[in-house]
Order: sequence, then structure tokens, then C-alpha cells
Amino acid sequence: MQHDTILGPVAARAEALNDGYRNHAAIAVLRRALSDPAVGRIALVSSFGAESVVLLHMISVLDRSTPVLFIDTQMLFAETLAYQAEVAAQLGLSDVRTIRARPEALAAHDPDRLLHKADTDACCALRKTEPLERALEPFDAWITGRKRFQGQTRSHLDFFENEGDKRLKVNPLAHWRPDDVQDYMINNRLPRHPLVAKGYPSIGCAPCTSRVKDGEDPRAGRWRGQDKEECGIHFVDGKLVRGPVADDRPQEHKEPPMNVIVTDTGFAADDRGEEFQPPEETGAAALDLGSDADVSALIGRLEGVEAIRIAFPAFSDGRGFTMARRLRMMGFTGRLRAAGHVIADQYAMARRAGFDEVEITPELARRQPWEQWQARADWRAHDYQSRLRGAG
Amino acid sequence: MYDYSEFDDAYVRGRVEQFRAQVERRLDGSLTEEEFRPLRLMNGLYLQLHAYMLRVAIPYGTLNSGQMRQLAHIADRWDKGYGHFTTRQNIQYNWPKLRDVPDILEALADVGMHAIQTSGNTVRNVTADHFAGASADEVADPRPYAELLRQWSTDHPEFQFLPRKFKIGVTGAPNDRAVIRSHDIGLEVRRDGAGALGFRVFVGGGLGRTPMVAQELAAFIPERDLLPYVEAILSVYNLLGRRDNKYKARIKIAVHEHGIDTIRALVNEAFAERRALFSGADQALLTDIRAQFKRPDLSPRDIAPFVAARDADPVFRAWADTNLAAHADAGHAIVTISLKPQGATPGDATAAQMRVMADLAERYGHDELRISHEQNVILSHVHRADLPAVHAALKQAGLATANVGLVSDIIACPGMDYCSLATARSIPIAQEIATRFEELKLEHEVGPLKIKISGCINACGHHHVGHIGILGLDRAGVENYQVTLGGDGSETTVIGQRAGPGFSADEIVPAVERLVLAYLDLREDAGETFLQVFRRLGAQPFKDALYPEQAQRRRDAA
Ligand code: HEM
Ligand code: SF4
Ligand code: SF4
Repeated sequence: MQHDTILGPVAARAEALNDGYRNHAAIAVLRRALSDPAVGRIALVSSFGAESVVLLHMISVLDRSTPVLFIDTQMLFAETLAYQAEVAAQLGLSDVRTIRARPEALAAHDPDRLLHKADTDACCALRKTEPLERALEPFDAWITGRKRFQGQTRSHLDFFENEGDKRLKVNPLAHWRPDDVQDYMINNRLPRHPLVAKGYPSIGCAPCTSRVKDGEDPRAGRWRGQDKEECGIHFVDGKLVRGPVADDRPQEHKEPPMNVIVTDTGFAADDRGEEFQPPEETGAAALDLGSDADVSALIGRLEGVEAIRIAFPAFSDGRGFTMARRLRMMGFTGRLRAAGHVIADQYAMARRAGFDEVEITPELARRQPWEQWQARADWRAHDYQSRLRGAG
Repeated sequence: MYDYSEFDDAYVRGRVEQFRAQVERRLDGSLTEEEFRPLRLMNGLYLQLHAYMLRVAIPYGTLNSGQMRQLAHIADRWDKGYGHFTTRQNIQYNWPKLRDVPDILEALADVGMHAIQTSGNTVRNVTADHFAGASADEVADPRPYAELLRQWSTDHPEFQFLPRKFKIGVTGAPNDRAVIRSHDIGLEVRRDGAGALGFRVFVGGGLGRTPMVAQELAAFIPERDLLPYVEAILSVYNLLGRRDNKYKARIKIAVHEHGIDTIRALVNEAFAERRALFSGADQALLTDIRAQFKRPDLSPRDIAPFVAARDADPVFRAWADTNLAAHADAGHAIVTISLKPQGATPGDATAAQMRVMADLAERYGHDELRISHEQNVILSHVHRADLPAVHAALKQAGLATANVGLVSDIIACPGMDYCSLATARSIPIAQEIATRFEELKLEHEVGPLKIKISGCINACGHHHVGHIGILGLDRAGVENYQVTLGGDGSETTVIGQRAGPGFSADEIVPAVERLVLAYLDLREDAGETFLQVFRRLGAQPFKDALYPEQAQRRRDAA
């Protein structure tokens, strides 16, 4: 991919940047993002909402010529538009670009401005996601004001995220608490969005934002009554993905000893653990294969091998299933384990392809508890393959 | 026709319950949207511009009247009273609600249908010649093989997470009506020297942004090797296909990058291993399946009523001459019902129209309907004596348009009206072209001409293989339509050539009109088709018609 050849794979850069900045303050992260060549061309995406002024202020201090992309959905409050002009002038931001949906797209899909009533996802896609995606095309990275405390879906947010191997997403405020935001605004005497005083702690489009009562989650006023937390400004594979971009990286490095082994009978602790060796290791009893390993290289070398573990870097990468099937066809009868991002819905596939067990992270085990795997532990039932092959 | 076995029925119902649970788990957060996405896609559920879209499979394009009525019922109960038949023998509903989808899937299961693997990076609904089992030129009915492949590919544990989607098309006749050379795998049923059945296998075809014509992988594989051979191809692709760039992930790119000979060597190696996995149970199943596709009993009757009606009624005659195809039995005909009335959305049918077609199939057509990749509906076995009655009923339902294979029988993708990826409108352009030629009253004079329109580079409207192809692009916020010429999707598949600069939305219909009028001038007689003239004279005279000013300049310079 173009961005990769210049800068190296996004995932690797995100990981390295996170490691280097694990304990840094927001401003340091932002300074790094604006100056590090490994980040590339960068823009700040801002809604000019209730808390946006924090990042805008930081930018104005570090480099006021940083491109700022303001998404005007044409459904915003008049107050937001006025506030946008005021903040940009006061902070001296020199490259604010207003991003809007194409008029033909609006005419075609939402001529009477009622789409948000029928389908907020489609409306957001039309008015935010698609225009933003076009506007971000020339950039290698973008800065957002998302914070961990803002919702369930954001609770694992990192400073640097790999967005679909395409772009870096930088979240300098990831670790900020609500009070940090307030303190920063008070200390720097920053202008407030006029609607905050009227009971809107989180501000989006006029039709989709309502007041929040005391004690409610500040974002409760967004898309009230709907199963929706995020506007959907996330892309994977160049396509819109609604909701957060999940972390696809195999997580065993982060929390090494606690991975969970799934078999037909339930969750268990790993009883082999450290013994897996790289395939070059002759004489090893347990081998670790990457998702791109050449299984044919093991022909004639399976004698004495008791267990093989195949990596699944992403659940959408199905190479491991064919690798397992090939190992079985080559006569391997030992223990075969799928490890990494394999989800409960894939358990029957894994078993049918020849795996004995699946190794998952504790995080995934929490999110998809045993009952969800058990639902697919009936992998022998309803199996077209055994019927066609005459094996069952 | 194939009736679900108990196994199929239990499987499909199991899948409905699984999906019901997956929807719940998405709502309670167990599944992230990213994880849910491929699961819903595996069950045919897309997220489109306005709403969800459910794509229901019509395997090898065949269905009975009960199934058609159920499709009508679904359109009425859970959608807006209509459905859209697509170029891959599917029907799409554009407005289902997420929470209703499990119920819709259950309603499908009730009539032996499903939406499984109609999207996602897996083996898609297997398509076949829409005249299968009825046409005169057939070596063997391709549908039993397509059904076998359907069962084999359903939930295949290795191939649910391929690098990209994978499409298989099968034809049983040397005249390719199933566009098999634009599929990832194309299969042509043929006989070897000794008369035994088997397949010629093509691999690596596809349209989209990098159109490619499939290449021959094997001149002949015996019938019994079908599943292990196809499985070998898929296993090679699963490991070799690129996963770093979705636009380079189709098998056509692997074939292009590694060369057909390397692919063939890898497939043969894998095949040697895979063959041992199949003990013959698949062949026993094939025999059972084949018995279910036996041609219905076509008893001879007098065709005098047909002859009389054709002589007496010019409207009936125009329809009969255009919309009927030769049946293997001379007393019968294959009826194509056009879903392209001039000015309407190509491929759309209302629930009421679906019911009319179901009734006609039940009454006159041995209970059999087909969906063609050209987005029309077919009654595969109608006795000629019944044609006047069929025509009268179709006319009442607004389904008697006599334009099959003609200018206004246009394939058009949903384009800007429904599709989030579109860069231009395509349905309105199709409507305008059809309406214009209706005004000119030239359609029957012009004869066979395939116009195909896509609303973006993904080429869902197959414009690359249209005799005249139209691709809608976005040039700095303005719709711009590029014309390709001379494409062909039949057994002589050719990708059309780009004619030159594109046209604005206002200019494209007159440009097509100039092309067609030029053809009428250039042809030797009424028997020479547009494509034949194009092949005889090349693109230049057509380019001159498209760009008269340039042609003038060339003449001045000469
Ligand atoms: C409305 C929403 C739709 C979306 C978002 C969509 C999306 C896409 C995309 C992204 C591709 C490109 C795949 C690739 O490059 O490999 C594609 C291909 C295709 N689509 Fe669609 N599509 C839609 C509707 C349809 C409809 C209604 C039809 C049938 C009439 C259709 C038929 C096809 C076909 C036949 C191809 C394959 C072209 C090839 O052989 O590469 N699509 N679609
Ligand atoms: S927030 Fe509401 S109005 Fe704004 S784009 Fe999304 S759905 Fe539409
Ligand atoms: S060709 Fe483009 S616009 Fe048309 S349906 Fe396909 S993706 Fe959508």
C-alpha cells in the first residue's frame, strides 16, 4: 500500500509509538505526532463541540498551520458555526478546512433532510464519514479528541491506533478524565461553546443531540434512545466501519501468562505455555507457525512433533484453516492449536478444519464467555463436509 | 427441481438460530461491529446507504411458485412491497430492519431458501445458465453440479475467510449464457472423447476495477473429480491470494501475478492430496440430486392456438418473436419475462408481479421459474399452445414488455440511488436510454444489443462486457459517463475498449443514440448485429459517431 512503502506498516508504527509514549502527557504526544517523520502528513479533525477547544488550543501553541478539518454536516446548531469562527480567529488557526457532503450526494440521498429520522447510520455516513474520508485521503494520520471515559466502546483507547492499515489515528487525550478537560479550559481561559451553559455537555448535530440531565452520562444526549454511541468515523480497508475499530493484534504479548485454551469441554489454563518453538528448531516437540508459514516445509519433519500452534493475526484471515487441513492431510496426528484472534463463531470451523483447541486472550474470553463457544461446540452436527466426503 | 433434504432443512434452520443469537450478541456488546460484520455478511446482510440490504440466494437461478410467493410475502411484510433481482441470481430487499432479519431468514427456510454466503469473503451463490434443463444446445443440465457445489461450499470450514469473495458459474451448453469467463471459477460441462461427462475449467475471471477474462486451467476433468479439484483451487487461493490490498485480493490477480502455469502446478499438487478425502459419497449424492432435476413430462399437444394468435395479433407476435427462446422440445418454448419496462428500475418486481409470475409458472410452466443474470424472470417449459394466455396475463400485470436482448433490456447496477460506493447514477440513465429508444421506435429494427451500466468502478453492472458499456464516474464532483465498446460476455468473452473522453449526464443518452444510428448505417443487412459490425470494422467508425467534431478534424486534416 502506498502509505506503507514510504513509512512502514501502520500497525508496527502504532505499536512502536505507543510503547515509546505509554506514560507521556497529551501535549507531548501531540508534539511528537506533529513532528515525527514516522507519523507523516497529519490533520486534526474537530467538531468544534464542547471540548474541542482543548486540542485546538494545543495545536495553536505547537503549530498553528496544522490542517484542521471541520465537518459541517449542515445539521449543526447555529451556535456551533458561530463558535467555530470565533475559536479559529482567537487561536489564529491558519488552515481550517470546512468539510461537507457533496451537494449531489445530498440531493440524491437526503433531499428533504429527514434521513436522520429513518437511519442515523446512513445519515452519518452521508454527512460525516464519506466527506471526511475524502478529506483525509491526502493524510497519513489524524488527530481526534476521543477519550477512554467517553463510552464502553472507547475504554481501551490507545494514543496511537492503526486504522485499517491505512492511517494512524492519534488520540492525545485518550487518558484524560472529565476534570482534566475542565481544568485545562479554565487554566488557559479558553472560550466555551455557548450550548454547554444550556445543558449540552456533548454537542453534535441539532436533530441528534438533546440535553442531558444532572447525573446522566455526558454523552447520553447523543442519539438518545438509540443503540448508537459513535458517529461511525472509522474506516477499515478504506470502507466505513461503524463503531470502534477493534484491536486486531494478537494480544498474547501484552498479557502473556493468562491466555485461555478453549476445547469442546470448556475454558482451561494453558498447559503447554512456553514450549512452542519456531519451525526451524529441529527436534522441538512443539512448533509455532506464523499465518504465512509454508506447511510443505514440514513434510518429513513431523516425526516426534507433539503439538503445533498456528497464529491467527486477525479473525478475518482464514489461512490457518487451510494450513490445519493440510497438516492433517500430511498425517499429523498431534495436538493442533489455533491461537490469536479467533472468535466463538469460528469454533466449529476450527474444529472441522482439524484444530483440537483454540488459544485466546483473557480480554476475548471475557467478551465472549464459554457459553458463546459452547454454542458452536456441536461442530459435528449439520456438517456438509462429512456428508459429502463420506466421513460421518 | 431440488427439494431440501432433511439435512438441508435442519442446517438452514440451525443457521437462522445462530444468526438470531449473533444479532443479540452484537446488541449486548459480545461481538464488536467489526466482528459482527463478516457474520452478517455471511448471512447476506449488507449495510447500505439508507439502511440494511438483505441479499437472498436463488441458487442456480431456479425456484418454484411457492418460493416465488414467499419472496412476494417477504417484500410485503418486511420491506416496501418489492424486490430487486440481481445479476448474480439473487434477490435483494433494500429496507429490512436488523431486528426483523432473523424472521425473514426463517420465512425463507420455510420454503427451502436462504441468504447464506450471498456476500462476504467466501464462496458465493453458485450461478448457472438460466435456460438449464430446457435449451436445445445443452450437453447436460448444469444445475445438479451447481447444487452439489452449493452444499460443498456451504459453511466449508476452510473457506469462510478467504482473501476476497469467490464466485463460481456453471454452464451445461457450449453457448455460454452464464458469463462463466468472468467468474473466479467457470465450469463448462462437456464430454471427453469416450463420451464421459466432465468439465472444462476456467479460473481467474472477474470484472470490477481490473477486468480479466478467465483462463483455461484444465481442458477436461472427470465429473467425479469436481469437488476435490475445486477444493484444490480454493486451498491454493486461500494461501496465495493477497491479503494486503483488497483490490488485489481476487484470484484473478493471483493468476495474473504468478501465471496460469504456476497456478496449475499448485492446483494439481493440492488436488493429488485432496482427492483422497472424497470416498464417493459425493457421487452418490449427485445421483440423487440429478434425479430431482429430471425434465418434467412434456406431453405433445397441438400448437395451432399459438400459430393463430401470432398471425392475428401483432402485439403478441412482437413479444413472441423477441421474448421466446427455442426449447429442446419443439412444442414448447422458453419464455423470458422482461423486468425492464421502459422507464422503470431494471430488475425490480413488485410483490403483485411476483405472484402473477408464480401463478403462471404453476398453471403453465411445470411450476418452474428462473432468474437470469440479465435480471429477467424465465418460465422454462411453456407449451406453445399456452403462450397466448400467458402473454395476456403478463400484459395485465405490466410484464409483457417485448424487449429481451434489445436496447432497452439494460443491465444497470443500483448506483447512486442505493449504493454507498457509487460515484454516479446508473438507474436513471438506463431509464432515459430506454425511454428515448421507445420514442424513436427503433428497438426492433436495431435487434440484439446489450447495454450495461455501472455506477462506479466496481462494475456491478458488468459494463465491461456490454456491447455498449457505460461507467459512471465522479469528475471533480460532476457525474461523468465513460463509454466502452465491443465487450462481450458470452463464450467469446471480450472486455470492451474505452472509446475516449466521457460524457456528462446530459450528453450520454444522445451519445448512445449516435452510436446506435451509426450502427444502422454501417451494417450490411438487418442480420448483422452491432457486435458483428464492430468486429468487422473496428472501433473507429463508432468513435467517429461518438465524437463528431474530432472526426471532422480528422477528415479536414486528411
Ligand atoms: C447496493 C450496494 C452494493 C454495494 C455496496 C456493492 C459493492 C460491491 C463492490 C465493492 C464490488 C467490488 C468487488 C471487487 O472489486 O472485488 C462489487 C462487485 C460486484 N457486485 Fe456489487 N454492490 C452492491 C450492489 C450490487 C447489486 C445490486 C448487484 C447486482 C445487480 C451487484 C453485483 C455485483 C457483481 C456482479 C460484482 C462483481 C464484479 C466482478 O466480477 O468483479 N452488486 N460490489
Ligand atoms: S449526528 Fe444526526 S444529523 Fe448528524 S449526521 Fe449523524 S444522524 Fe445525521
Ligand atoms: S458498480 Fe459501484 S455503484 Fe454500482 S452497485 Fe456496484 S459498487 Fe455500487
